[in-house]
Amino acid sequence: MTEATDLAEAASSADAGIGLRAVVALRRLLETLEVLQVGNARRQGWSWQEIADALQVTRQAVHKKHAGRWPDKSR
Amino acid sequence: MFERFTNEARDVVVGAQNEARGLGHRYIGTEHLLLSLLHPKRGAAGAILADAGVTAERVRADLQRLLGEPRLGQLDAAALEAIGIDLDAVRAKIEETFGPGALDPPPPARRRGRFRRQSDPDCPPTGHIPFTARSKKVLELSLREAVRFKHRFIGSEHILLGLLREGGGLAAKVLVDGGVNLDDLRHRAEESLRQAA
Repeated sequence: MTEATDLAEAASSADAGIGLRAVVALRRLLETLEVLQVGNARRQGWSWQEIADALQVTRQAVHKKHAGRWPDKSR
Repeated sequence: MFERFTNEARDVVVGAQNEARGLGHRYIGTEHLLLSLLHPKRGAAGAILADAGVTAERVRADLQRLLGEPRLGQLDAAALEAIGIDLDAVRAKIEETFGPGALDPPPPARRRGRFRRQSDPDCPPTGHIPFTARSKKVLELSLREAVRFKHRFIGSEHILLGLLREGGGLAAKVLVDGGVNLDDLRHRAEESLRQAA
């Protein structure tokens, strides 16, 4: 069996363990990308409100999650 | 409040700050108070914890486990491939824009509540490190414990009792996860205070 068919099998597998593990991996990728992109936006001068609008969450949510990560320029 | 603290108890508070700094954390949480209590020269509380089988090494290992960063590893790559996402391709695209390794040193993970972590290894905390609400509460409760015992001083046992009474922080979680009976620990600390009195 080739690697490709192995993967195709895994992808279509009804194995909950494989499916759930993929969800975990996706979440990690999502979190990593979000931090990267929010940081990039901040460096480009985006406000928390603008970032929140783009992410379709509240300003409070995005601020609470990310504000501690980068030094505040006003301090 | 601190004027009632014995030198030993002051050392616990200062030590907690050092523990936080050493771990690159930007807050002093109950876990840092616990680590500080476990320091060899912090008096009776350290001995009580040691008797219960709590060691600084194990607490550190547990913290590492609880606060460790989720890393995008090979297992993640395999799991993503299973649903048709090529992590290497994603990585290549991201690195085109953000440079090599953009996905690699995973940024500090978001943590909520007791797991919230505000550390950044690239930017170690300097100067003042604030207490978390819980660890402030622990110190307030240590004062209350002293009042309860009609003690005019606050020692390391009072801080330990405060930690146990607060009961909701990362320190308590590490202790409970390690199989420590908090009630038993409380009794031992109270007994130690009674004997000292």
